Order: sequence, then C-alpha cells, then structure tokens
Amino acid sequence: MAGTIAVEVVPDDLALRQERRARALAEMEADGIDILILGREGNARYVAGVPRLWTAGSRPFTPGCVLVRETGDVHLLSTWDEGVPDDIPHEHLYGITFNPMNMVEVLQGVAGATTATRVGTDSLTPMFSKLLPMAFPAATVVDGESTMRRARRVKSAAEVAEIRTSVRVAERCLAVAEKRFAPGVSERQLTAAFMEEMALAGVTTPSSQDVAWITSPTHPWHHGDRDRAVAEGDVVVLAGGVIRGGYTGELARTHVAGGGRPALLDRLEDLRGRLLDACRPGRPTADLLGAYAAAGVEPPPAPVARGLGLGFDLPIVTADLAETAVADIFEPGLVFALTTYVWEEGVGAAMATDPVHLTERGPELLSEPSPEDDQ
Amino acid sequence: MPAGLMERVAPLSIPATADFDRMRADRLARVRANMAASGLDAIVLLGNTNVVYATGATWPLGDPGRANFEQPVAVVLADDEWPHLFTPLADDTGLPADHVHGPVYLDLDEGVRRFESELAALVAPGAKIGVDEWTFAMSRESKLLFPDGRPPSDGGKTITKAKAIKTPDELSVLREALRITEVGIAAVQAQLAPGVRQMDLTATFLASVFDAGADANTLDPIWQVMPPSMAEGPWTTHGDLACPLLTTERELQRGDVLWVDTSLTYKGFHSDFGRTWIVGQDPSDRQRAQFDTWKAIVDAVLDVTRAGVAQSELLAAARAVVGGETPWMTHFYLGHGLGIDAAEMPYVGSDLGEQFDSSHALEAGMVLVLEPLVWDDGAAGYRAEEVIVITEDGWEPMTDYPYDPF
Repeated sequence: MAGTIAVEVVPDDLALRQERRARALAEMEADGIDILILGREGNARYVAGVPRLWTAGSRPFTPGCVLVRETGDVHLLSTWDEGVPDDIPHEHLYGITFNPMNMVEVLQGVAGATTATRVGTDSLTPMFSKLLPMAFPAATVVDGESTMRRARRVKSAAEVAEIRTSVRVAERCLAVAEKRFAPGVSERQLTAAFMEEMALAGVTTPSSQDVAWITSPTHPWHHGDRDRAVAEGDVVVLAGGVIRGGYTGELARTHVAGGGRPALLDRLEDLRGRLLDACRPGRPTADLLGAYAAAGVEPPPAPVARGLGLGFDLPIVTADLAETAVADIFEPGLVFALTTYVWEEGVGAAMATDPVHLTERGPELLSEPSPEDDQ
Repeated sequence: MPAGLMERVAPLSIPATADFDRMRADRLARVRANMAASGLDAIVLLGNTNVVYATGATWPLGDPGRANFEQPVAVVLADDEWPHLFTPLADDTGLPADHVHGPVYLDLDEGVRRFESELAALVAPGAKIGVDEWTFAMSRESKLLFPDGRPPSDGGKTITKAKAIKTPDELSVLREALRITEVGIAAVQAQLAPGVRQMDLTATFLASVFDAGADANTLDPIWQVMPPSMAEGPWTTHGDLACPLLTTERELQRGDVLWVDTSLTYKGFHSDFGRTWIVGQDPSDRQRAQFDTWKAIVDAVLDVTRAGVAQSELLAAARAVVGGETPWMTHFYLGHGLGIDAAEMPYVGSDLGEQFDSSHALEAGMVLVLEPLVWDDGAAGYRAEEVIVITEDGWEPMTDYPYDPF
C-alpha cells in the first residue's frame, strides 16, 4: 500500500498526493499566498506525500516543505530521495542543516522568492521571523496555517479510507492490550503490549504513548505512577492510536479489573449515545458540549472531539473553547475522535473514544463494534 | 542481557538517585538568571521540551501534530521561584496549586484570548515578555506578546543556554534513560538473526523499553541495512551517505551490516544509542579494521576532551586519525549534546561552520554524544555513539554497552 512501509519506503498514492496538493494550492489562491512554507509535519506530508523520519513531541518552526503557487513546485527538506516521488525533482530537495543561514540560502533559491509579496508559514520562531525577509525581500509573512486547515479539514473518500485502515491497526493493538488486561499488570506493561503489536503490524509510529490509565476514584482527572499495578475493581481506560501512512486512527475503551459492571459504564453508554446523536450535519459542534450538559456530566479538560487526518486536524471541541464551538459547524466529511467521559466519586472514570466520520446522513463509526457492544 | 551492562561505569559525581525538587530549583535559577541578562520580565514557552525543562512536568510525548494542538504551556516570571503551567495533563506536576492552570489552546484565537487574560494577571503592565515560538492566533490576539504589533523577543534562548550544562541530578536521570534504552537494545541484539524483519526489532525494542520504564519512544527506531558501497544507496543532496533511513518490513539477511540508532524519554530526558551490528556472522577482518579505526578516532577525540577546550580541537583530533578526511556524517556532526532534547547544544562539527567550532568551548557538565563513522566503500562501514559527560579535567563515560560483535 502506498504511503505505508512494506519492504520499501514509498510515497503516498499519486491520486491522494494530487488531490491534496490541489486543495492546498486552491486555498493559497484564496488567500493570495505566493509561497507557503510549512514546518509542521502533517502539513508537509499533506503537500509532499513523503514519509519522513518520525520523532515525538513538538518541534520549533523550520522550513520543512515549500509550496509555490504559480508553478505548484514542491521543495522538500530531505537529504536523500528515498520515498520521494518523481514530481519532486532532485534539485528541489534540500538537506538537513543546523545553520539557519544555509536555510536562508535554500529559500533564496526558490523560484519567485525575490518577487513574492505574500509568504505564508504555519507558525514562527523569533529567529525565522528575522531571517525570512532575507529570503523574501518583497513579502509580508502571513498566516499559512489557517490556509492549510481549510484544505485539510474536510476529508475526501480516499482520506477516510486511509483513516479507517489506521483505525483497524489501532483496534488490533488495543485488542492485544485488552488480552493482557488483568489485576497485577502495570500501566507500563499494557502500553508495552500495544506498542509491540503496532510494530508487528508494520507500523512504528504511535499517535500517543499513554495507552493505559488506572483512573482515580478520588479525583476526576488524575494520573498516578505508571508503574502501579492494576488492582481488583480498578476502572481502567485503554486508549491508543497509530499514525499509519501519515493518517491517525485512535480509540479508547474502559474496563473494570476482575470483571463487574458498575453503573458508571451505563452512564458512559448513555452519554456516548447522546454525543453520537449530537453529531448532525449543519449543526454547531457546540451541540457536543450541550449533550454533556443535558446528561449532567462535567466534560473532561481534554477535547471531547479532535479532528483526525494527516496527523491531527480541526475540529477541536472543548469546554475551554465554547465560543469557537458555537461558530464551528459539523460539515459532512469531517473525521474526528469523539470522547465520552464520565467520572464518579468512589468509582473512577470511564472513557470511550470513537473515530467518527460525519456523513450527510449523520455519524458513521470507523471502528468495529467493541466486544462489549455485542453483549 | 550482556554481562557488565551499566556496571563498569558509575561516575562518582553522579548520584544514584535524583532529587527532582532540587533539579527543578537549579534549572529555574539558571533560566531566571538568563532572563535577567536578556532583560526579560517573563517568558512564554510552547515547545514541549522547553516546557519540560522549565516546569519539571513530564508526560509521554505524542505525535508532533497532536503536540501542536494540545500542548502544555509554561510561563516563567523573573520574580517568581515557581513556574506557571497551563496543562491538559492529568499527571501530578509537583507545582503549587495556584501555579497550575487548565489547558490553553494557542493555535486558536479563542484559546489565545483566554490565555491573554490569565497572562495579564501574572505580569505587570509593560512587562517585556519573550517567547520560544508563536502561532498566528497569538500574533492576532495577544497584545501582551505583540505590543505595537512587533514580534516578541526570543525567550527560547534562555532555555537553550541553561540546559546545555547538566547538574548531577540531571546526569542521574539521563543515565537511567540510557540504561532503559540499553535494556531494550540488549533484547533486540539477542533476537538478531537472518529472517527477522526490521519491524520485529522495533517491536522487541518498544515492548522492552516501555516495560523497563520508558515514558515514550521518541525516534522511530533505526536498524538501517547499509549498502556495501555508497553508490548502491539512495541519491543524496551532498553526495554523502543517506542515513538514517526508515525501518521497513524487510527481512534481514546473513551478513547485513546494520547501523542502529534509537532514542526514548524517561522523566524528561532523551537517551541516544548507536552501534553497528553484523547479522548472523562474525565481522570480517576488513570490518574489524573499520572498528579499530573508529575506536582510534574516538580515543583521539577523548584524549583532547575536557572543559575549556575549543570544539575545533575535537574535530582536528578526529581528522588527524584518518589523514584529514571528515569522519562523520556531513549533514550531522562529530558530536552533539543530549538530555532535554535528543540533539541539543553543543553541536560539534555541524554546518554551523569552522568559525563556530573554534569560538565555542566545552564546559563541565555538558553531555556529548560522539558519533564518528568509518566508511570503507565496498565493505560498508562502522558507526557507533559514545555518550560522555565533560568534566573539568577530562570526561566520564555515561554508559558501557558493549561493542559486540566487534
């Protein structure tokens, strides 16, 4: 499969690359951006379609990929051509550098650099805000992140298929962690089981690395020592995700050590149903927060919905961004991880994260029903 | 596990266990001294590892895309011994309760507006605030960070300078990160055989290190099969080696030369590990000669390594062993710092240039990963990494993982 790692590193599918690049170029046109400089890996992958070495954690802005509106040319930070498609010629590859002046020289070599009037970036550092004018003397540096967000927000059918495949891998890994789940196992060992299975499945890049969480009966949002072992009666969240072919698949389920089904899990299912019902095309994403309120449940500090795509996308729905959610509309083609979360004093927290594709008809789950759903 | 793992070295200067409260206080004192020198009243930090350094909060780092949208943010004030942390994390931070705030979303305008009102309560009017990086939502919505629309000054440098020198507590935690890595590496090396896939090595590594205490894997592990000659590898921008290349499901063959490179985090510290292995057979005489040359380069560099020496002297020592050639990857360096990031200052022999290396000296407490290589076109080559800490009169090894099969 293109864009994934079999025995050879290959670029993303041609059709997918073309479709994504065309959307990025159309949004550049809409914003009047001549040259777009992307530091965020998801943005660079979207435009270039090239798998590059994965590292964890945020990175400060550095020009990792350059897209030129007039020609559609892509320049890519890659010291070698492995995994690079023919539409990015060797002369458009540039190497790893620790010297910002060498990066300025690369940017000066982009056709149209001297005449560009609007250059977009996806974020900035104090250093690059000083250096960019040296490469683009006639340009104003403008917001290119919102340009990319518009391009990336609604998923094509091919992208939904990619995310669905990533979800399959996450399900397989979570199932292995669930098999290990029993009193006595530590959070760390459950994470280890998930990660091992992920690599055996041919994927080496997780989306998050906190797979198991023994929830607290005394605090709604507390994470204890990861060496702690699961005890009888603990309510434990197993949550995992992978980045496969660049696309994220994520899910979370809750289990009670030693069996048993506290009423908490019924409340979780009730709220989960309400949240899925609230995913309606044309409605504001704030309806998710409304569903929490209607159920009398305090939403978690983390987002209750978070866009899935090439890495992570909008929407982000959280109680801390209430105004944003009122203006943010559920559009068909959105794909997001929907999180249902209920905490009960004396019992613990239960959480379910479902990968949802919003269609004209409503929410479509990209995951298979979990074993509990069949009971 | 090979005999002697982490047993032969235990520098006296490194405590067996770290005092995390003292570590945080030491770091903050340095950062605030650097802020004073730069005339900054406050700094706002977004970069994950900058936040880790400034607050002591640690969490399993996730995919960089998610790190952008859901990032803990730190605020350090010149006149406050405690940092402020804005976080979605569920972990106990060890900070005073009034210094821990809910999450902020600085990639969205509303998130910046909320942060702006909280920041306004922390800083005096007209305060000079530095940042390490910014989003366009910040430049649109924050008057505190963009007074008069001008970009803020660089707050990240206060961290870059501080973190280069490690305290004994920091060295202790880093050493544990290295030990956990080597537990995983030992399991992988025991599995190495013809027919095993590269991905299987990753599976074993991940299972072992998470079990052994890693918080996160931070580099897609590299088990690169080196071609005998450079011409058989991918095209490169500089005509030098292509490395590191991504791991695939490729099955290893007897005699494959593997270049190994991994990194993980433990309590906020990045490890690093590099070795060369041969699959399923003993090294040939030619391969042993490569290792001998590599060892001679490392020994020559270590002979001149001590606090106060210019970085360029290490480069000269390395080159002298191989007749003036440059025995390291030209897109990387002869050596790099390690700790809060997988690669940080000092960079020795990078494209920052000869002038940079001759004007920068090593300091006691710096951790250096030396990664020279020997390329013997037609018979691949040898590369490994040696992690040391610089002392006043020399250096101490941080690990002692064996070089088997060499």
